[in-house]
Amino acid sequence: MIFTNSFASDTNTWGSVAETQKKGFFDFEFITWMAWTWQTAAFFLFIILCFVVMVLWEKKKPGGSPRRGVLGLDTTRGDRLFISLLSSAYIHLGWLGLIGPMLWIATILSFIFAIFVFRYV
Amino acid sequence: MNKTVNQKAWFFVVPVFVLVAFNAIIPLMTVVNYAFQETFGNNVFMWEGTRWFKQILISERFHAALGRQVLFTLIILVIQIPLGIFIALNMPKEGIGVPICLVLMSMPLLIPWNVVGAMWNIFALPDIGFLGHSLNAMGFDYNFTQQSGDAWFTTILMDVWHWTSLVVLLSYAGLRSIQPAYYQAAEIDGATRWAVFRHIELPKMKKVLTIAILLRFMDSFMIYTEPFVLTGGGPGNATAFLSIDLVKMALGQFDLGPAAAMSLIYFFIVLTVCWVFYNLMMKNESQL
Repeated sequence: MIFTNSFASDTNTWGSVAETQKKGFFDFEFITWMAWTWQTAAFFLFIILCFVVMVLWEKKKPGGSPRRGVLGLDTTRGDRLFISLLSSAYIHLGWLGLIGPMLWIATILSFIFAIFVFRYV
Repeated sequence: MNKTVNQKAWFFVVPVFVLVAFNAIIPLMTVVNYAFQETFGNNVFMWEGTRWFKQILISERFHAALGRQVLFTLIILVIQIPLGIFIALNMPKEGIGVPICLVLMSMPLLIPWNVVGAMWNIFALPDIGFLGHSLNAMGFDYNFTQQSGDAWFTTILMDVWHWTSLVVLLSYAGLRSIQPAYYQAAEIDGATRWAVFRHIELPKMKKVLTIAILLRFMDSFMIYTEPFVLTGGGPGNATAFLSIDLVKMALGQFDLGPAAAMSLIYFFIVLTVCWVFYNLMMKNESQL
């Protein structure tokens, strides 16, 4: 196995590659291989937040407000969230592949598109 | 009648959720984490931002692998779906022929992927394999280990052999569920064989065919073991479909970052197609 008995640490150098490192308090073996960063953690927290908001919304107005939107599809709120998230992935990828810099514009576009989806689709 | 709302039933979902967390959610989160970082192993990671996604999106190699994958899946669907329907239409409807046909049809489905690959590898070897040797003896210049056209031919033939039965079995089940009254009515109207197929059998098979196409799409879009054992993605990169290329990148070159970015793009494509099929199936449900 590649990832046995070594733990993430910023003191890693080529000189200490073969040495067994001391385990720090937060170096759970379970978590280090997952390679969390605050950016990706923030992304998943945002997704979880979306779910929580959806649950609260459902509590407030039960039924999921189904309708037939502009695409001719029967959608509920959950479908609209799914469409928004998936299209935001495509918007970001498209921006990266075709344009490149200033990715935050793609994020703004995604939010605008998500609002459109929740209104009309 | 008032239904009692009891949300405690959700606790029954917990075991499945834990299982899915360990075999899908946690690995997927890890892939997302890896897609933004560079590593040389040893659990040391360096932040790279969106570099890998840019690299994959403009890489010739990814475009080529994706193109091959889409082409392969399209060829598979174009061959297997009509062929499956055709075989199902011609299967016996009663008597001893039914179990014989069903068992024969099910056999390829029971063989593990790697065994199918190994079987076809030996079967198609140009010097000792039955298929390869016969083709060469008949004057065809056939060598799937060296000519990419032959490699494609063999891979597609193998997949058709392995999976057409699935389409046959599903279509047959769909056909058997049609009431005899429809056929009798068609006979009274003097409908041709084609009209019976077009206006009775095909609409009645719509549901199962949607599922058949979805299953065949999914299986052929993520195909790995069979071409890996048969051709190993070769000759060159001729049959290196998406998953083969992905594994080469992730494990062969240990480029975990780019491989993670690529697998996320792969995942989005699959998710989109599944969503489209889900909506088609829901439309079918609401019509019937």
